[in-house]
Amino acid sequence: MEHAVLFPYIRWIPALPLIGFLINGLGGGLNHSAATHKRIHYVACLAPFGSFLVSLLALKWLLDLPPELRLLKDTVSPWIFSGDFSAKLSFAIDPLSCVMTLVVTGVGFLIHVYSIGYMHGDRGYGRYFAYLNLFTAMMLVLVTGDNVLLLFLGWEGVGLCSYLLIGFWYEDPEKAYAGLKAFVVNRIGDFGFLLGLLLLFWSLGQKGVWTIEFAEIRGHVHLLGPGVITAVCLLLFMGAMGKSAQFPLYVWLPDAMAGPTPVSALIHAATMVTAGVYMVARMNFLFAESAFAMHWVAWFGAFTALFAATIGVCQNDIKKVLAYSTVSQLGYMFVGVGVGAYAAGIFHLMTHAFFKALLFLGAGSVMHAMGGETDIQKMGALRTKMPRTFWTFMIATLAICGIPPFSGFFSKDEILWKALSSPVGSTGLWLTLWVGAGVTSFYMFRLVFLTFFGEPRDEHLASHAHESPPVMTVPLILLAIGAALAGFLGVPESWGLGHNLFERFLEPVVGGHAAAAGEAAHSHALEFVMMALSVGIAGFGLLLALVLYVAKKDLPIRIARAFPAVYRLVLNKYYVDEIYDAVFVRPIRRASERVLWKVVDVICIDDGLVNGTARVTAWASALLRRIQTGDLQGYAFAMTAGILAILGYLLLR
Amino acid sequence: MGGEDILVALTAISPQLILVAATVLCIAADLFMRSGKDTACWAVSVAGCAAALWASASLWGRQQVAFSQLVRLDKFSLFFYGIFLVAGIMTLVLSMEFLRRERMPVGEYCAILLVSISGMMFMASAYNLLMVFLGLELMSIPVYVMAALMKRNPKSTESAIKYLLLGAFASALLLYGIALIYSSARSTSLGVILKHLETGRLLGNPVLLAGMGLVIAGVGFKVSLVPFHMWTPDVYEGAPTPVTAFMSAGIKAAGFAVLIRVVVVAMHRLSIEWAPLLWVLAALTMIVGNVVALSQQNIKRMLAYSSIAHAGYVLVALTPGTRLGIQAALMYLFIYFIMNLGAFGVVIALSGKGDTAVDIQDYRGRSAGHPLYAAAMAVFMFSLAGVPPTGGFVGKFYAFSAAVKAGYIWLAVIGVLMSAVSAFFYLRVLVRMYMEEAEVGTAVEPIRPLAATRPAGIGLCVAFAALALLFLGTMPSLLARVAEETLAGLWPF
Amino acid sequence: MEFLGNHIVSATVFLPLVGAVIVLVFVGRRSEAAIRWATLLFMAATFLLSLVPFLRYDPQAAEAMQFIERASWLPEYGIEYKVGMDGMSLLLFMLTTFLGPIGIACSWRSIETKVKEFHIAMLLLQTAMLGAFVALNLFLFYIFWEAMLIPMYLIIGIWGGPRRIYAAVKFFLYTLVGSLLMLLAILYLYFEHHRQFGFYSFDLFDLYRVHVGLGVEKLLFLAFGLSFAIKVPMFPFHTWLPDAHVEAPTAGSVILAGVLLKMGTYGFLRFSMPLFPAANEVFFPLIAVLALIGIIYGALVSMVQPDLKKLVAFSSVSHLGFVMLGLAVGSMQGVEGSVLQMINHGLSTGALFLIVGMIYERRHTRMIADFGGIARVMPVFAAFFMIVTLSSIGLPGLNGFVGEFLILAGTFKAHPVMAAFAASGVIFAAVYMLWMFKRVMFGPVDKPANRALEGNDLTAREVAILVPIVVLIVWIGVYPQTFLRKMDRSVEAFMARTGHAGAVVAAQADAGLLSEGSQQGIEKLGRVERR
Repeated sequence: MEHAVLFPYIRWIPALPLIGFLINGLGGGLNHSAATHKRIHYVACLAPFGSFLVSLLALKWLLDLPPELRLLKDTVSPWIFSGDFSAKLSFAIDPLSCVMTLVVTGVGFLIHVYSIGYMHGDRGYGRYFAYLNLFTAMMLVLVTGDNVLLLFLGWEGVGLCSYLLIGFWYEDPEKAYAGLKAFVVNRIGDFGFLLGLLLLFWSLGQKGVWTIEFAEIRGHVHLLGPGVITAVCLLLFMGAMGKSAQFPLYVWLPDAMAGPTPVSALIHAATMVTAGVYMVARMNFLFAESAFAMHWVAWFGAFTALFAATIGVCQNDIKKVLAYSTVSQLGYMFVGVGVGAYAAGIFHLMTHAFFKALLFLGAGSVMHAMGGETDIQKMGALRTKMPRTFWTFMIATLAICGIPPFSGFFSKDEILWKALSSPVGSTGLWLTLWVGAGVTSFYMFRLVFLTFFGEPRDEHLASHAHESPPVMTVPLILLAIGAALAGFLGVPESWGLGHNLFERFLEPVVGGHAAAAGEAAHSHALEFVMMALSVGIAGFGLLLALVLYVAKKDLPIRIARAFPAVYRLVLNKYYVDEIYDAVFVRPIRRASERVLWKVVDVICIDDGLVNGTARVTAWASALLRRIQTGDLQGYAFAMTAGILAILGYLLLR
Repeated sequence: MGGEDILVALTAISPQLILVAATVLCIAADLFMRSGKDTACWAVSVAGCAAALWASASLWGRQQVAFSQLVRLDKFSLFFYGIFLVAGIMTLVLSMEFLRRERMPVGEYCAILLVSISGMMFMASAYNLLMVFLGLELMSIPVYVMAALMKRNPKSTESAIKYLLLGAFASALLLYGIALIYSSARSTSLGVILKHLETGRLLGNPVLLAGMGLVIAGVGFKVSLVPFHMWTPDVYEGAPTPVTAFMSAGIKAAGFAVLIRVVVVAMHRLSIEWAPLLWVLAALTMIVGNVVALSQQNIKRMLAYSSIAHAGYVLVALTPGTRLGIQAALMYLFIYFIMNLGAFGVVIALSGKGDTAVDIQDYRGRSAGHPLYAAAMAVFMFSLAGVPPTGGFVGKFYAFSAAVKAGYIWLAVIGVLMSAVSAFFYLRVLVRMYMEEAEVGTAVEPIRPLAATRPAGIGLCVAFAALALLFLGTMPSLLARVAEETLAGLWPF
Repeated sequence: MEFLGNHIVSATVFLPLVGAVIVLVFVGRRSEAAIRWATLLFMAATFLLSLVPFLRYDPQAAEAMQFIERASWLPEYGIEYKVGMDGMSLLLFMLTTFLGPIGIACSWRSIETKVKEFHIAMLLLQTAMLGAFVALNLFLFYIFWEAMLIPMYLIIGIWGGPRRIYAAVKFFLYTLVGSLLMLLAILYLYFEHHRQFGFYSFDLFDLYRVHVGLGVEKLLFLAFGLSFAIKVPMFPFHTWLPDAHVEAPTAGSVILAGVLLKMGTYGFLRFSMPLFPAANEVFFPLIAVLALIGIIYGALVSMVQPDLKKLVAFSSVSHLGFVMLGLAVGSMQGVEGSVLQMINHGLSTGALFLIVGMIYERRHTRMIADFGGIARVMPVFAAFFMIVTLSSIGLPGLNGFVGEFLILAGTFKAHPVMAAFAASGVIFAAVYMLWMFKRVMFGPVDKPANRALEGNDLTAREVAILVPIVVLIVWIGVYPQTFLRKMDRSVEAFMARTGHAGAVVAAQADAGLLSEGSQQGIEKLGRVERR
């Protein structure tokens, strides 16, 4: 948008956490005195809080502007200029990025605070908070960056931080490997993203528009042919698959549990995984142009949503369950943005940020109480031992299951409705999500019942269980409030309570296109029916969980026995990891070592060609040397032969 | 004939006369002096060479034929005088310690050496095939003797015999060739032959061609072109190292002087005939020399093969028969004699009693004991391999550019590939000296190299050579100009 | 001062030589400390001196080639002493002077035998390398180019590891073969120039004007190309590199990877490509494909190396594949990216070798399997190692990314499919580097030898060595303008000569492989007029 308002503070949104990172990264590393730790976490927590305040300020500025003018810019300096290519270090805030910054800084800040308690006394305290700040900074670059390359900078940056934080306790090889896996899988996605970026750049370029700035691109989309747009969208979405853990690149996320729990909260809720959704929303003007790409996104989302949910059913690791639920929820978001309901997608992203962060921090608090135990089969009856944790956890669960009036209900239901009503949407899409919703509420309540209800299964652990300190529970409560009430920002128009505030706020960025078009087609009546249905399936899931894990506790085992194959398949996450390992990882490694290196390089090229030449020469040398017998006749003979040859040549030619 | 002023004529050969005088003095001293005659002979010889050098220098620029066109004094001859005499002085310096240690007769040695040098000088200035032959014999016979001078060492004698017999064979060839040429040209004077060819007579005359072929063969023996090279390794290995050094520097230069005067210049019009011949000889010589050198364990043998190879490079320059070619050849010979004498100087310095410790194995870890000799050797080896910024590179550069300019690309390609091969065995010496440790306890009695006793003369000589090569490598312009000037008198057209 | 001002380049080039002579003559071989300090002093002085041209260079000036100095040498043969810098050589020049002192500092403890010889060799090497980057007369260039071999040969052969002799000889001969053929090509060009213009000249700009038939031009290009390809090294001429790197002492590896390999790419950039644009056009597919193979092959092979140095060595093959690709496509972004990537590789890989050296000095092993959990016992070391690793895998915000991205951008313009293959190299880079990092730095400290490293973290000297490099790594990553702007003019000049090799060819070659939408796009791209 040509008419952008100058707002020279945006740079501070990412800058503050970056500074925090530098201070703690250079300073706090090695000293472990309490004083240092105090300084470290003060710096670390103030940084994102500062960004939060700046974001609020930005929000105020935006609201003061008329909707179509809501764009704040802040250009710092040139970055990479070469020939026709130019990328500035410039940041922008529009309603979309404003929502993101608020979520990232807000939820992020709470997670920082919570970490003070959770990481207390860890020898990597300084390192931890430094990484945490860097993570926040990178995510903020990602959402405030004004051009695709800057977005990519943050994009890779969060990838790096996830690597660092997942592998935070690097002395455990498993955890270190998980970090590695996260980074590499992300890189695979980024590969696509990078190519998409380049294709977009050059395709615009040969139309005479050399730019990678969002506003500019948006202004010239019409120049591009449909083929190019689809190609660009699919490539970019490949990046999103990696970053936002969509099938088939979701595999890194469940392993991301290896990191400290607050990190999981940060990765799963506020930052990182939401990047993909944000990017698609940011690029909505492209996706809107390509129906194929939209279907593609929507269906991948829907499949992932159900697929991951089913895996969640059989997991016994409290964090793994939540992890798969994240994958699944991201699927929902992608359906949202896929069917053109960008507002709905982002809305779910926000509510999800609240309740998922809450769930993880809750889980963390539980583990804190259980001495790091994560197996829900060993827990139980924690309801009484840690009430604050329990209640907040409960709220989050209700939210994620879409039980009204908790936030999840509004956002998820919006998506379900759009999945049906929008032109791109379809009944099949809706049905998938609908079933997914049921499964979700089943496994979530299974988790709750196993953890907090019934009687303790492990006396020893239970006896030590205790409520966590306020520094941890206060963030829980704050998040709980968000998880409970955030939904009211986006009450559907159909309720007649006025506009959908959230949707209206985002309108200038993501527009109403597909969504609005859908409205006309269907009656409010239908919308309410659907609402009822989705609540219904959620309730069903709840009841099923109640039956299986509270009423008839032996039933699950019997079911598992009844369908052993299915059970094992699901328990082992459909063996996806194993398949990847067998199909990609090991063959490549083997081929590289046994063929490329040991055969092609060592034997063929080096020994064969290079040293071979030398060997041949040496051999020739030894051969010619034999002529040098040392006896005179031989020499004389050679000379005579030579003379005859010479004369022969001179005379007979 | 008669109109010639004898004094004027004598000045034309004054350098040779000086040497002869020195020879006589030397013998006299050897015969009549009681004590310190060795030193005296040695000093006389050095002085003689120096004086001859001074005389040659003062003759520079002078152009005359003397003794009814038997000798021709021009810059070309003087250039070679310079090479021979400097080589002579260096050889004498390198020899002294060695002779003492091996108890060789200094007087005879010096006298013979001087005679041989004067022979070379006659070769370089010969303007008549008979003169060529005389000079050649005058040069060769003393060398046969010198090769045998290490009486205690059977190898030495054996090599001398071989050299003698094969040398006789070669001389016979040369003489026969001369005869054939005479029979066709009715003269042995190069001037006459040249004139005949210019006027177009004798072009394609088979007898003349045969004669030329035999001359090439005969001279090819002296400069050890393949296949006339067979004697080289044995003789180089057997002969006392200083003698080897002298041979490799002087004889080669003299031989090429003749080749240039007789074939390249006088028979220039026949280049169509001899160019392909030289092409093949050059290629063979480079290939055999370098390749076989790879598998040599004895450093003298290795240097022998390398000297063969370098003859090949010179021939590459001569094959086109162009001005640039001859100039390149002159420069190459000049640089070559310096680096070779230098290398042999180090060999002499590091050799043990009885001319032992000349296997490349014996050079393991010697850089520790003799850092300066090692450094100098490095210069010589890199130079022989033709790596800048050493003289060797300049030589090769000019030689190959002559070939490339005349369109002999493939000959040049063979040349560079072979010099890449050569790098391997030159580097091996450095590997031994610098990169390997001398194994302890294997040597029965520790080598007592000359360098350990009184290095002064040898050291000076080696240092001079090394510095000269570095200078020539970075500042070749002087040599290039001199060589170019040298052509002036030589090139009649 | 005035004189120095006019001869700043020569002064910088020959200062190390002066140092070598002074050390040789005035410092006794026993007083090792003095030798080290003197050498370090001269290297540092060289670096400071080289800042003058860097600051004085005027990127706006119409003539990219600046600070030209000439002195008659063998005028009648067109051999003159002529040096000068344009934006591209300027950066490489700076890289060389920058790595000089580092090379000395990192040998402070590790070189204990023949100390004097070592430092003299390093100084000589420095002069030779600097000279090669600024020589504008092919004869002069050849002298410097070959002269580099000698000290490096000695450095590897004398102060290297167990198989040092094999490695040194291999390095020397392999490089020599290539360069000798180049010598012939140079000579041919020289006489051709004489034939066409009537006077002898080795001057680069004179030789630019020579026109030979395509057939001959191809041969000449190959003759030049071979020698450079070996130096780069491009697949399949790379096998000397792992040996040389593994055996060379740390300083040797640093200079070898940091500077010597750039000689090859620089050679393509300065000589073979501009001298033979038509042949370059013809051989574009060959070079590009070899470069791609290098990228992927190098990465895959590097992934499975058990030896740290070998791993880094093969990673160089991969990285330089990127550089060659950028040069081959010859678009603005491609070339600027390549030149920048040369610098980046010099920094990151140089730093990697330094780091390997530092850990080697402590553990006397380079086998990845022998390490594990180092991050716990050597946190500072871990931090540096991590940053360098990230720069080497091209993380945005660090130097590697800028170069690789520009190269990819430039390549994509010419040939999207190639860009795709190249980009896959970025994935593999992450795999092999981070996997190595994990195995070395992460995991439990289970080996006693590693536990013994507790409290044996980097010394002040080592930190001082690494900090400047890290600073540059971040600088280039965040504000590459400082360096990119210097070369704009020069790259334009380069492209003007090479006539945008590749793009057009590639466009047609590739048209079949894309969706129709982008097809016309690509074809147009081929024709895009470059600024």
